[in-house]
Amino acid sequence: MSDAQSPTDFDFEPVDDFEPVDVFDDSMDLRPGADNCYKCTACDTSCPVAEVDDEFPGPKFQGPEQWRLKRKEDVEIDDSILSCSNCMRCDNACPSSVPLSQMHNEARGEYVENQMDHRSREYIRNRILANYRTLAELGSKVPRITNAVMGNSLVQKLNEKLLGITAEREFPEFATQTFREWWRERGGAQVSSEEKRIAYFHGCYSNYNTPEVGKALVRVFEEFGYEIAVPRQRCSGTPMFANGMLDDAERAANVNVPEFKDLIDEGYDVIASCTSCSMSLKQEYPELFQISGIDEVSNHTYEALEYLRIYEDVQGALEGKSVDYPDLAYHAPCHARNQGLDRQAVELFREVDGFEIEDVGSSCSGISGTYGWKAEKYEKSMKIGEDMFDHMHHAKGSVGMTECPTCSMQMEHGSGYEIRHPLQLLEEAVA
Amino acid sequence: MTDTPEILVIGGGSTGTGIARDLAMRGMDVTLVEQGNLTHGTTGRMHGLLHSGGRYAVTDQPSAKECIEENRVLREIASHTVEMTGGLFVKRPEDTEEYFEKKLKGCKECGIPTEVLSNAEARQLEPYLAKDIDKAIRVPDGAIDPFRLCVANAASAEQHGARIETHSKVVDVLIEAGEVVGVEVEHTSGEGKRVHGRSGGREKIYADYVVNATGAWAGRVGDMAGVDIEVRPSKGVMTIMNVRQVDTVINRCQPKGNADIIVPHETTAILGTTDEEVEDPEDYPEEQWEVDMMISELSKLVPMLQEARTIRSFWGVRPLYEPPGTGTTDPTDITRDFFLLDHAARDDLPGMTSIVGGKFTTFRMMAEKISDHVCAKFGDTTECRTADVPLPGSEDFSVLRDYMDEFGLRSPIGRRSVQRLGSRADEVLKTNEPNPTVCECEGVTRAEVRDAISSAGSDLNAVRLRTRASMGNCQGAFCCHRMANELAMEYPEPVAREALDELYQERWKGERHAMWGEQLSQAMLKHLLHATTMNRDRDPVRVGSDVDFGAFDGGPAVGDDAGAKRAAADGGRRDGD
Amino acid sequence: MAIEEDVIVVGGGVAGTVAALSAAETGASVRLITHKKSTLRHASGLIDVLGYTPDADGPLADPFEGLDSLPEEHPYRVVGEDAIREGLATFDDIVGDEYHGEHTDANALVPTHGGAVKPTARYPKAAAAGVASDDRDMLLVGFASMTDFEASLAADHLDAAGVPFEARGVTIEFPKRFRADAKVTRFAKALDTDEDVGGRGTREALAAAVEPHLDGAARVGFPSLLGDDHRHEVRADLEAYLGAEVFEVPMGPPSLPGLRLEDLLFDALDEAGVGISSGNKAVGYETDDGEVSAVIVDRKGREIPYHADAFVLATGGLVGKGIDSSREGVREPLFDCYIPHPDDRYDWFVEDAFGDHPFTSFGVVPDDRLRPTRADGHAEFENLFAAGGVVGGANVAAEKSASGVSLATGVVAGRAAGDSI
Repeated sequence: MSDAQSPTDFDFEPVDDFEPVDVFDDSMDLRPGADNCYKCTACDTSCPVAEVDDEFPGPKFQGPEQWRLKRKEDVEIDDSILSCSNCMRCDNACPSSVPLSQMHNEARGEYVENQMDHRSREYIRNRILANYRTLAELGSKVPRITNAVMGNSLVQKLNEKLLGITAEREFPEFATQTFREWWRERGGAQVSSEEKRIAYFHGCYSNYNTPEVGKALVRVFEEFGYEIAVPRQRCSGTPMFANGMLDDAERAANVNVPEFKDLIDEGYDVIASCTSCSMSLKQEYPELFQISGIDEVSNHTYEALEYLRIYEDVQGALEGKSVDYPDLAYHAPCHARNQGLDRQAVELFREVDGFEIEDVGSSCSGISGTYGWKAEKYEKSMKIGEDMFDHMHHAKGSVGMTECPTCSMQMEHGSGYEIRHPLQLLEEAVA
Repeated sequence: MTDTPEILVIGGGSTGTGIARDLAMRGMDVTLVEQGNLTHGTTGRMHGLLHSGGRYAVTDQPSAKECIEENRVLREIASHTVEMTGGLFVKRPEDTEEYFEKKLKGCKECGIPTEVLSNAEARQLEPYLAKDIDKAIRVPDGAIDPFRLCVANAASAEQHGARIETHSKVVDVLIEAGEVVGVEVEHTSGEGKRVHGRSGGREKIYADYVVNATGAWAGRVGDMAGVDIEVRPSKGVMTIMNVRQVDTVINRCQPKGNADIIVPHETTAILGTTDEEVEDPEDYPEEQWEVDMMISELSKLVPMLQEARTIRSFWGVRPLYEPPGTGTTDPTDITRDFFLLDHAARDDLPGMTSIVGGKFTTFRMMAEKISDHVCAKFGDTTECRTADVPLPGSEDFSVLRDYMDEFGLRSPIGRRSVQRLGSRADEVLKTNEPNPTVCECEGVTRAEVRDAISSAGSDLNAVRLRTRASMGNCQGAFCCHRMANELAMEYPEPVAREALDELYQERWKGERHAMWGEQLSQAMLKHLLHATTMNRDRDPVRVGSDVDFGAFDGGPAVGDDAGAKRAAADGGRRDGD
Repeated sequence: MAIEEDVIVVGGGVAGTVAALSAAETGASVRLITHKKSTLRHASGLIDVLGYTPDADGPLADPFEGLDSLPEEHPYRVVGEDAIREGLATFDDIVGDEYHGEHTDANALVPTHGGAVKPTARYPKAAAAGVASDDRDMLLVGFASMTDFEASLAADHLDAAGVPFEARGVTIEFPKRFRADAKVTRFAKALDTDEDVGGRGTREALAAAVEPHLDGAARVGFPSLLGDDHRHEVRADLEAYLGAEVFEVPMGPPSLPGLRLEDLLFDALDEAGVGISSGNKAVGYETDDGEVSAVIVDRKGREIPYHADAFVLATGGLVGKGIDSSREGVREPLFDCYIPHPDDRYDWFVEDAFGDHPFTSFGVVPDDRLRPTRADGHAEFENLFAAGGVVGGANVAAEKSASGVSLATGVVAGRAAGDSI
């Protein structure tokens, strides 16, 4: 081959370019996605559920194999799809970029829609868990009473008996003032800027349960000179995907996408403090729904630290800083891992003096959103978390850190540690 | 002559097994010999189309009528090997309206049910069809698995007392007093070789009558008998896609041409084909342009094929025949009709009839006609029953039961197993032992593989044809050795090793025509698994090298104090948990 | 902007890791970019250096003795024997006492799960008691639902190779009755945490199931699933119960030994202070005056430049997706480096499945500093170096040299990148 025919002359088409098409009723035909699978099983070795639960046949089976074996008239999905916790670690493992989690989401959605008894306890329980926001909105209206009631062990036992929600876990407490109430009270944005603008996707948990994370985000970004908007929003959909409630998720997306799309048009980028929320907007939205503006929202969504590391010299801002902070056992959530964010907190903070931060390993925390709340999954969830608990106990100090609200519940539950968000530490250091 | 006529059938394809079944059911004493596996020849190398007759509705109406008739019969008697996908004749803008109308009219004349679909209707049925197609004619095409169909025919013949010998190549036709009295075969198996059917050497099989149903190989058998049979073998390529881009048979609606059909077959879609006359049915070039043409031409009907993954290609040889002197030059113009050559009448050689030409869909009808012909020789007037009695696997076939729960299988695996096994699912899948999946691509479990071994012996290619194990996207990378492992119950290690090698080589033969993109990555992974991880390419046992074990590292403990207890000492200098 | 280093290594397998560590040793700040999980998860965890040369039939007892008979374009000939030894030394440092083989230059013959022995230079400690030059009798144990390993066939295969010991195989049921499609990680977990089986631990129950078949065997081999984090305890417990040494037979994917090695490599990167960006794909690059100034990383649709002064390409071969192909040709997708290959794709392979396929040797052509070169022999870029599977010229599958090539080229490319700044 001469230089004149150097490889740049090739017109290579992307191999993974397939067009999803409505074919199985109103769901997508993902069979062509199986073309990329060369069966290496890296996904299976990355699956935290298959490691503790042999009822679950692993992501390769649930994804490309199950899809490939499908014919048009075959509607049946193996019921083990409900054991997938939607941690999406398989996506992160696959060297061949098979759309595993998308296949799982579609299959689960089909299963829940067509094969699950919608009057069953499991369905009702899953629907409740998936729609945490509805529960939270009610509960946070009278936070003290709700906290007292939900913290009542009798109520917890009833939840387990009637709904199959484990009594082992403490319900997260509702804050006495939600983030949005605080935001309104402070009069909204305190910094205005034409160039630097972010729209905050706080998600449900920062709003109802840990407004301190949202406040930290506001203070940090304002410190860096950003004008912040906090538009109307619904759940990001993560717990709904995990429970196959795709219709619920789409309804929420139909609120979120236009709200944020309008702001993007005004020069805003979308920032989330929860890595599952940013994951959902970035990846699952465009994979699963066709809503006008959804690609723009996907392309403009960032996790908070990710954004600052790209567009601000946050490393420089932290240089030589010393912060009076407890030693930290950091756990990277699976959904952070999928966005390539699993190392950022440790890399950013390990140069800051005054405390130590240690990564507690690459394992899954085991809670995976709503998975660990299900009575029948509780023990498996704790077994998955064992590695992380072990490493936490071996790490210095007794404070944990993570970006994900449900990982933090699991960390707290398994170790008794108080858990913080990296934004809170960043707030301490720079704001 | 004995009371029961002894009939010898040469050829284990659809025609041969069909004849064996038919004659055995009529009470004849049948022996069938096949040089390779069942379906070794043309039958195993077709795209699996169950014709509605639509393809012949303009040019060859008698064939079209036979097709639709047999199409209906096979749906009844071989339901577990048939998938009624339906078919479309798709008209692109550059195809003529005139031919479209001819096709439609022809189908009606032949009694083939049709329905004209608009662009929108066709694309609703098959969403990946090109956006710019004009319209389509819907016909009752289907997909059929030739392997399982022949195996079922052979099994039925055996149930009626027939003897089926595979891997038994005819080396001579025995002629005594100017009459064919049998054949001499060479059983591939024998001392030191793997045993498939009857063990060992050559065997003379005498019969009252010989039927030569060897298709493209008919001329060779004719030569042995000293008669001239002018078969004109014509090769055609078939390219297998990794997944089904379509669930309906897609035909291009044009008079004739290469690369004009896509058949959804099992988990794959098969693109076909070409039509090129060749000299030798066993030795012809398999060429790159043929594969490339399948993809580029058929992408005009289903554009995503351009980028889709193909997992292999294979070639088949049609046993075309035309009476001497017809003088057709283009093989596509040679009739698809079959010819019954009674060598007594034709060549003054009694005792043998050859059957040539024809097509897969009408194999049963051909078998019936030749069986009638044979029976007439013996004055036997027993009626043919093959159109009425279901084949093994298709009796009382119902998938309504919940096999998944019963057999502890995952839903798509249970579903595919039952789709393959039909009414045999019960007896095959009921096992009290662990029943792991051996072939993950095709969802084939140990129980199914072992069942196939019980009928196919140690020939893993025959096991493959019965089960589809190793026929998926990894082309056996992850299951060839597992299949060989399943032989351990009954066969010694060298047999399992050779069977593995044979299967591995066979897979490579077709796979190499798909060596780009994901399938090249797949092939490299397969190569690394088998050559690097398992060292199968340089395995000292395989290449026959003597190894001086003493020259190699004896482990970290070697070199330690001779008195050290090795089981306790972890030895090496870096050690200690 | 935020992401700026001295050296950026693209690729997170053996070659990438070793390159990153070698670059860091020169004092450079280093970041490793890795997209998905590496091919280590498909590999057996053995570290082969050279088991066969093109012209010899038998396995090489000494890998270094075979170097001279390799073709000139072979990466080993480019980097030389010292680099191979340095690569092995780096590996030994990374893995500490987790691997054996460093006590001798000789190859070890390790039984594979198919039963053939394979020459290798380093093997996991867990596999050590299985080497075929050890003359103690061996029992191989398979599990009924594990189709990948048939112990009796493997034992008979060893026997056919003339090993200096008696090998027997037995198939038992794993004491915890999993569904038939349970993953190896499930087995490993049960042993790792010693889950309860009818009142006793999985390890004891497993030993009890094997014990009746022991019949004096001094060593017992299992498919490699004997635990993960607590693998040494698992083996020690089994050895104590059985009174025999216990080892693992390396398996194909999913490979626990590969997973464990991956962990060791990343721990070493952490310890050396190498930054790691995983989960996103490097899709392009920027140049400045003939040098690469940044690689572009696609972060879910947004393209972010990662700047550095020198770069190492360690993206792997056809399996690792460091080399891409289409019906028209073969290419290196990130920098578009020149990869020589026949125009006719039917010349990329040969007819024999185990023949000498040209595709197995596809890769970039390195200069003496391991910079990928253009067709005219000049370096593609001043500051781009290549290591591992993306480097062409070696038929690593036939030679059994994949890991050795990665180690040797990793050391040289990493150091050259670090030194170049």
